[in-house]
Amino acid sequence: MLDSIHKGKYAFLIDASLCIDCRSCMVACSVEHNVSMTSTRIWMKGTGIMGTFPDLASHTAVFHCMHCDDPSCVSACTVGALQRNEDGIVVYDAYRCIGCRYCMYACPFEVPNMNLDEQLPLIVKCDMCEDRLNQGLEPACAATCLTEAIQFGNREEMLQQAHTRMKENPDLCDHIYGEHENGGTSTLYLSPISCDELCFPCVGTHSTAYSNRQVTETTPVVAGTTALALSGIFLAIKHFGNHKENSEDAPENTEESQS
Amino acid sequence: MIQKIIEELRKMPKAVYILAVIVGIGGLTAIYRLYAGLGATTNLSKGYPWGIWISFDLSMVAFSGGAFTLAAIVYIFQKKEFHPAVYPTVLTGLVGYTSVLVILFMDLGRWDRFYHFVIFPNVHSALFEVSWCILLYSTVLVYELSPVFLKQPRFRGLNRIIKKMTIPMVIAGVTLSTLHQSSLGTLFIVMSNRLHPLWYSMILPVFFWMSSIGSGLAMVIGGSTVSYWVFGRSLNQKLVAKLGRYIPWILGVYLLAKIGELFATNELNLIFNSGKFSFLFILEMLIGVVAPTILFSLKSIRQNRIGSLLSATLVIIGVSLNRFNTSWWGMQPVEGYSYAPTVAEVVILAGVLSGVILAFTLVSRYFPVFEETDDNRVTPLVKDEIGAIAAD
Repeated sequence: MLDSIHKGKYAFLIDASLCIDCRSCMVACSVEHNVSMTSTRIWMKGTGIMGTFPDLASHTAVFHCMHCDDPSCVSACTVGALQRNEDGIVVYDAYRCIGCRYCMYACPFEVPNMNLDEQLPLIVKCDMCEDRLNQGLEPACAATCLTEAIQFGNREEMLQQAHTRMKENPDLCDHIYGEHENGGTSTLYLSPISCDELCFPCVGTHSTAYSNRQVTETTPVVAGTTALALSGIFLAIKHFGNHKENSEDAPENTEESQS
Repeated sequence: MIQKIIEELRKMPKAVYILAVIVGIGGLTAIYRLYAGLGATTNLSKGYPWGIWISFDLSMVAFSGGAFTLAAIVYIFQKKEFHPAVYPTVLTGLVGYTSVLVILFMDLGRWDRFYHFVIFPNVHSALFEVSWCILLYSTVLVYELSPVFLKQPRFRGLNRIIKKMTIPMVIAGVTLSTLHQSSLGTLFIVMSNRLHPLWYSMILPVFFWMSSIGSGLAMVIGGSTVSYWVFGRSLNQKLVAKLGRYIPWILGVYLLAKIGELFATNELNLIFNSGKFSFLFILEMLIGVVAPTILFSLKSIRQNRIGSLLSATLVIIGVSLNRFNTSWWGMQPVEGYSYAPTVAEVVILAGVLSGVILAFTLVSRYFPVFEETDDNRVTPLVKDEIGAIAAD
């Protein structure tokens, strides 16, 4: 299973030091996907206003699906409506979804959103503007960004660019958020302040999807062992235990060793 | 025919009507919920995508653990003296699981596609495993209960076949229960970033399985006193006391495992310095684990109907606290979001719970569920006879 995990083909590179909180990316996304601004696929994270007058500062960054290399939502989804495609895009099949909302809890970045106001709600999440990519266009948010805070391109190039920028600009933190978070993602962040201060979720470098698989992949073993053990205990007691029928204490101890 | 039905209805205890009314109100609210959608009827949000319904489901499945625990004791460990408790317990399990399925259906945003978990499986999803196991296990419960409905002589042949296949079905049932009781814990493995470390653990499935055995036994023990009061029939108190002896062992091992896991992950200090979470954790452990372990170790408590009912209630409250903590109160807050259930959520839940009690009452009224248990009341027939003798 782990062997089949590859790095994404594309990536976003988002530089929080360039973001001016104009929110045109949110409008572009809303228009592109015909979703209301209340159930967005894309939103702002920020520090709020920091410091005391006149030394005020504020940092913001746009936030949307990170497109993990080993996505937690994909391993959680009951019906496989969320899948990671060969380009590394985490795509959502609206025709499969049963609306159980497990993905919303599973995602360490708290990305999947649900348009709860609908009678029959569905999940909304960034799909990297797959349709636009197929037409050779950039995702709507990257194409709209006025300050080029959102860059889009080949993942390798984006990563390289991030490292170069980090070297050239000493103001930036020495950490690319997304390079290793949750096992690596296809959305990379540069920031002049720590991601913690930007209110980004603190996520480990180990994908929770991996922990999930570690447990769920033991299911057949657990099932087999339980069934065999039960059959064994049944047969053993049937053949050897009958004369103990009337003594109370001995069988109780065997019961205990099971639990 | 109609007269007969009216006569039957007249004979019903008042409580049945009250329950039926609550079920009715719950049912109408449920229809409105399905029509209007989740946003209009619940307080679920992006920050709290699961609410009281999921916590209820987790608790209910744990309570229904009595069915597999008792089946294992009676059929696998062949302690046949407990057989009289099998049918009431299996019936409790069956109505419990049915209520879980109803609430799960309510909880689906796309309830119109509930069958998708059958045709679009994701084998790595714990929720997929849970839904399959619950579905299959409900079938096993129907099977285990079926002799109660097939008492008439014309079903004798069928009954014999059912009896013959009991052991394999029980093994399948206990296996399925082990799987889904534990995979309800697996649900939260993927949520390490959200669930507080006092509850989060890689061996959460084992904790869920162990506590379901504890709460299952507690349901059998507590249920026997309740049925003694309500139906006048129950499992012999000597046997109840014997079941009570298992509880300190199970809960004791559970407590050691819980503390041991926190020790191993270096999180013992969290028990005291996590504010609200510390309070919830300590409360859960004291009520649900420490207190009943001590109480059930006392012979006088085990042999006393009220004593064992109260101690069993502590286990049941403790296990539901654990499920509520794991799925709701123990979730670390997300800025800008909070959750408390709406009236509609509570009303639907109340309707389903009343339905559970109503279904149990009606089935045990018309079918010999308690047949093998001790009869503690004077039956109407005997009363009539006494009346006749007195008249003479």
